[in-house]
Amino acid sequence: MNVLQVIDQAYRTTTEEQDDTILWLTRSMRGAGGNLTVLLSGHAVHYAVLRRRQPALTLGQWRQTQPAELPRDIAELVASGVPVYAVQEDLEERGLGQLPLQGGVRPIARHALPGLYEQVDQVWQW
Amino acid sequence: MSHDRILTFAFMEPPFESERTITFFRLLDAALDRDVGVRVFAYEGAVALAFAHQQPHGNAVHGRDSGEEAHPLTKDWIQALQEKAQARRIGFEWINCGLCVDERGVNDVIDGCGRGGPPDLWRYASEARNTLTIGTR
Amino acid sequence: MSKYLFIQSQDPFTEQRTRHQFELIGQLHDAGHDVSVLLVQNGVTPARRGALGEGLDRLLDGGVPVYADAFSLAQRELEEDDLKDRVGLSDLHIIIDAMLARGKVIWH
Repeated sequence: MNVLQVIDQAYRTTTEEQDDTILWLTRSMRGAGGNLTVLLSGHAVHYAVLRRRQPALTLGQWRQTQPAELPRDIAELVASGVPVYAVQEDLEERGLGQLPLQGGVRPIARHALPGLYEQVDQVWQW
Repeated sequence: MSHDRILTFAFMEPPFESERTITFFRLLDAALDRDVGVRVFAYEGAVALAFAHQQPHGNAVHGRDSGEEAHPLTKDWIQALQEKAQARRIGFEWINCGLCVDERGVNDVIDGCGRGGPPDLWRYASEARNTLTIGTR
Repeated sequence: MSKYLFIQSQDPFTEQRTRHQFELIGQLHDAGHDVSVLLVQNGVTPARRGALGEGLDRLLDGGVPVYADAFSLAQRELEEDDLKDRVGLSDLHIIIDAMLARGKVIWH
């Protein structure tokens, strides 16, 4: 079984969970043998062009020490054999179209999405 | 029960914040109507759906005490679905993401709801006829 | 040909993303797949006769089967006669049936 994980949101939970919970879920299921593909769409295309660790939150004397490392998480997903795509038009709409994508992340045009949906057995929209 | 008659649902919404929660429970009920076994993986806020210490309350604005208000609680909905599944002799399994439970402190859950992690979601999905994920926003 | 059922909970009045969601549904339909849509929650609002909803209207004009969840309609005091032509009534069992048929059932 091959599942397409469609991640459509970004920065939800990245501070308090210190990751994107769907990227995390995907990495964990991949570790359990899952055959998975990731599609970054909507604001989640931001993840494809990030270069740095997330900013650390400070509240009073409390300071975050382990902010999310989204570029690492994406890179490790790719390295584990999970294809990661980012919707080209969603990048362009947000002015990100000219930025280099993180290594291994492939742009995909909107008109090609039906083909991607057809390559998998199930589509899990998050 | 044959795996061909089992469906998996992954859900992320907490008990009292989203219309999705209502649709999700209605969907589980519809599955049981079809005599389909149900497996749920509750992720993030959805782990509180089974929290055993949910309490009904009165509502002064409504002019009703606790008994009259009969406030819906998601733990009761889960129990109602468990009982429906049992009456129809079909499976109804529920796994909460354990890390999500810990960080929210909702460890005390009603009977019949277990604890696990993403590998359980993959196992559930691999064994089921089909899987539906309902995320949060 | 694959079978798709999209559960459309997001509506075009508050969610810009629905534009792309409706486009994708139309693309899959145009590619020859068996595609249908169930409107739920606020997703039913563009199904009302007279409501603006270009993306949904295009799907209806293109022949995509579109259903609206009866409970969501009842919450909003929408009757079948209030709906645009070609929008059918359904309950959630349509989702279970599509899942049992091994369709790709996708929540929007």
